[in-house]
Amino acid sequence: MKILEYDVLVVGGGIAGGESALNLANIGYKVLLVEKELSIGGKMILLSKVFPTLDCAACITTPKVSEIARHPNITVFTGAEPLKITKKGEHNFEAIVLQKPRYVDVDACTGCQLCEEACPVSVTDEYQFGLAGRKAAYIPFSIASPRAAAIDIENCILCGACERVCPPDCIDFTQTEEKLLVKIKSVITATGFQLFDPLKIPRYNYDKAKNVITSMQMERELAPTRPFNTVLRPGDGKMPDNIAYVLCTGSRDKSVGNPICSQVCCMYSIKQAQLLLGALPMADVTIYYLHIRAFGKGFNEFYAQAQDMGVEFVKGKVGKITEKENGNLMLRYEDIEAGVVKEAEHDMVVLSVGVLPNRGIDEVFDNKKLQLDPFHFINQTDILASPSKTSIDGVFVAGTASGPMDIPDSILSGGAASAETTSYLRKEDSK
Amino acid sequence: MNKKIGVYICHCGGNISDYVDVEKVRKAIEGDDGVFLAKTTMFACADSSQKQMVEDITDQKLDGVVVASCSPKLHLLTFRAVAERAGLNKYNYVHANIREQVSWAHSDNKVGATEKAIKIVKATIAKVRNAEALEPVKVKSTKAVAVIGAGVAGMRAAIELAEAGAEVFLIEREFFVGGRVSQWDDLCITDETGKELITRLYNEVMKHQHVTLFTGAEIIENNGSVGNFEIKVKVTPRYFKLQCSGDELKKAIEVCPVEVPDGFNFNITKRKAIYHNYPSEYPQLPAIDMKNCTRCGKCEEVCKAIDFSQTTEYLTIKVGSILLATGFDPYEPPKGEFGYGEIDNVITLPQFKRVIHYNDDKLIWQGKEVKNIAYIYCVGSRQLNGDNKYCSRYCCTSTIHTAITAKKKYKGIHNFHFNRGIRTYGKAEVWYDESSRLGDIYLQSFEHDPPIIEHRNGQTFVKIKDLLTANKELEVAADLVVLVTGMTPRQDNSIGNLLKVPKGRDKFFNEIHMKLRPVETVIDGVTIAGASQGPKNIMESMNSALAAATKSFSLINSGELALEPTIAEVDDTACEWCGKCDEACPYSAFEKIEKDGKLIAKVIPSVCKGCGMCLPVCPTNALNLIGLTDVDVESMIDALIPNA
Repeated sequence: MKILEYDVLVVGGGIAGGESALNLANIGYKVLLVEKELSIGGKMILLSKVFPTLDCAACITTPKVSEIARHPNITVFTGAEPLKITKKGEHNFEAIVLQKPRYVDVDACTGCQLCEEACPVSVTDEYQFGLAGRKAAYIPFSIASPRAAAIDIENCILCGACERVCPPDCIDFTQTEEKLLVKIKSVITATGFQLFDPLKIPRYNYDKAKNVITSMQMERELAPTRPFNTVLRPGDGKMPDNIAYVLCTGSRDKSVGNPICSQVCCMYSIKQAQLLLGALPMADVTIYYLHIRAFGKGFNEFYAQAQDMGVEFVKGKVGKITEKENGNLMLRYEDIEAGVVKEAEHDMVVLSVGVLPNRGIDEVFDNKKLQLDPFHFINQTDILASPSKTSIDGVFVAGTASGPMDIPDSILSGGAASAETTSYLRKEDSK
Repeated sequence: MNKKIGVYICHCGGNISDYVDVEKVRKAIEGDDGVFLAKTTMFACADSSQKQMVEDITDQKLDGVVVASCSPKLHLLTFRAVAERAGLNKYNYVHANIREQVSWAHSDNKVGATEKAIKIVKATIAKVRNAEALEPVKVKSTKAVAVIGAGVAGMRAAIELAEAGAEVFLIEREFFVGGRVSQWDDLCITDETGKELITRLYNEVMKHQHVTLFTGAEIIENNGSVGNFEIKVKVTPRYFKLQCSGDELKKAIEVCPVEVPDGFNFNITKRKAIYHNYPSEYPQLPAIDMKNCTRCGKCEEVCKAIDFSQTTEYLTIKVGSILLATGFDPYEPPKGEFGYGEIDNVITLPQFKRVIHYNDDKLIWQGKEVKNIAYIYCVGSRQLNGDNKYCSRYCCTSTIHTAITAKKKYKGIHNFHFNRGIRTYGKAEVWYDESSRLGDIYLQSFEHDPPIIEHRNGQTFVKIKDLLTANKELEVAADLVVLVTGMTPRQDNSIGNLLKVPKGRDKFFNEIHMKLRPVETVIDGVTIAGASQGPKNIMESMNSALAAATKSFSLINSGELALEPTIAEVDDTACEWCGKCDEACPYSAFEKIEKDGKLIAKVIPSVCKGCGMCLPVCPTNALNLIGLTDVDVESMIDALIPNA
């Protein structure tokens, strides 16, 4: 097994892990950043604009990602994950990292996309959250880092078309899984979050009603790299003019096992509503909510701005969504202000899905227990004094791996994790 | 010396190209003098585009580059770095803003937007033609940081900086450290008390030999700038010798005739002008509050430790960076807001927390046992008419946590929450849930229809049109009304003014960019942490303190700073010192020197920001801005208005 040595292993290349890695690298520590997806940048790189400033998400993420990718003190593995992390002693960890084959020589690939054109296989594009298709030979998305092709071997029919057209001849079907032994002194877990799967609430008919989408799908419809270049109902390609948001889908809901608030859905829905009013000036947008959690810097003002723009806010829980023949949706909801159950018709419904922990990172730790909190996020064992400390000395947590948070908080948390890692590493230096 | 210029026009994924015909812009400029290569790109900032630019610059030997994209505030540094990586001096890169200044501003006029974009790009090309290679101003930096404010954020930042290897001066205005957290008992999230947390942090601070703590101290002057701030600290004495007998101190406090409201208890109790601190306050030393002391001398007669001969000290400290963790003030309702100051059982949330602290078995307020408590939320936050439009973030969770504490501590408590929509975000939702299970009643109204407070027949009532019961008018007879007051920026902004740190529309200190540079300010070398930047809970304050410590440390770590060379310069022969430049300069970057027998102005390179305020006021045209000379500006104007 190949042996590599670094100062710090950062697990997860989203905005929090990236921030930690950059800070440490700037101080002079050698960092290995391991990302399970094919690109770094996490969820943020896929977003449209960000609240409450309405900055373009790509414009903020891509330069950070680029800085990470070319930093002399940072090594990035994409399509890779740690299988096992063993603590041998203080400032002494060993990780076994699995590098999955991409079947493309990343350094040689120019991103010309000829393989994409040649590939005869079309499958659903996970980076567009199912709204569009992609080929089995594909570049994950246009601003991916690395912007290099990959072969989706599960769907590939091994026809060899991509190989024949590739100008630098960088497609390599002989690549295999590789396990690497990585020696490090400290670990930062920045494993992020996953979105709530709305299929767990059958009453919302996400699988059957074609014009019910998730907020992440709407995020893609609004993003600069959007699949349709405009906002469309996926059911029939019609431009919607009466859109509803269902807040707390999968959050604050014990019936689906998630009692906590996801902290970001109110704000991203308000942001999307504002963007929709810009993209579709004639459209109505209604947000069904329980409480609007506009708590951060500039958030309440952003909420007031949405109200002034004409976004309608209805205090009420949506109980059921049914599809009509024309693809429109009937929402049955409790109008709390009126104190009655009502029905409303919309032509598109966005489920504002919540934030859930990414599972499994605790099982990677071999001989020490990485404690989780009651909601399965990584437990912050000294949350008030050292928020990135975990139950294992030398292992720190950054970003949403410890609980729901928005982008500014994730970045601050990434900064905090790098600070505490620095202190931990300095303790060895001073020995 | 014709330049070989490369021009890149960015689509910004539609942000620009939806309104500006970028291909038309490219065609319009590709024949311009010196333009060797003109390309459009989907995202100029993407890694792949940057790589392409580096290749172009090296392969084609370009010596001038323009990217027409977003605001230079976002990406000037990104593309300068591209130039550097390609071996080109970064000042041969010039940025054109065709997003904020064109596509977003003129989304209603695509033809006009395209025309404007063409002109801006042409003007930028004109500037890059004159661009010269510049070298950064190198400044030695002091490997020390001043942390202002010894609350939780300041103490945590100080510990972190010391552990990273910096010399730290922790400067606290009060006589005691701990800030607001020392005033709280049970803290939210953990079962730790404020006292325990402060004790832990204080002990850590004192353990570090590289942290010097000053209490009763404030910064009154600053000369210098990033890398080398020279700050003058005024240290007020406690008027106590270090050794002090407990009995004598007790007597001294007894005989002191002056009684003033005790700020530690938010004025619900009184203290003497000579006072001992609370167990949660450090250092554990008494102090005399000279603002209120009448100098009657009675204490001196009974206590040998008192020493009125101590005098105010002034120290000068050199640091490379300043970290502001100056905290917040709780909102103080004006007399009459929800009966505050008029009805005697209306108090604020911070006061209520202190009341709970002092009551063990029964909750007593002004001699009467309290059973029904009405909490009125968003007092001083989310104001419809006032200035505070923001949400104070911590108060919903804090109130619910306090209400649960009261309910568990005393028998027969009924909590009524008059709220505007509960914002227990994240995991704090569990307390909202718990309080509901414990039987707390929630009543809600909107901003424009707040609850009304009435006092009749010796009883206080809170009335609300409750939207949770279909807007029925409901009334609660309350034994105690708790106004849930939010966080406000510090009333005393002397340190902010001194360092010229800008404030946001919420009047808290403002960061440069919420996501890209969340703890830095436009004043180089000054970082911000904790609630000085906006409402935050303890954990969030800690995260920002640690992030700010990292930023301050990375500034001073190498011992040397490279500053922008695009600053003002003085033509010694033309300058006849008149002082007008000095008056116009917002950063005090000028000094008067004598050279060859005459007085002239000199620019201090590490202080000058290159803002250009001095240029137009100079009567002898002796000032020039490096990188933006008259020639540059004139050539840009010629490009913008070719036939003028």
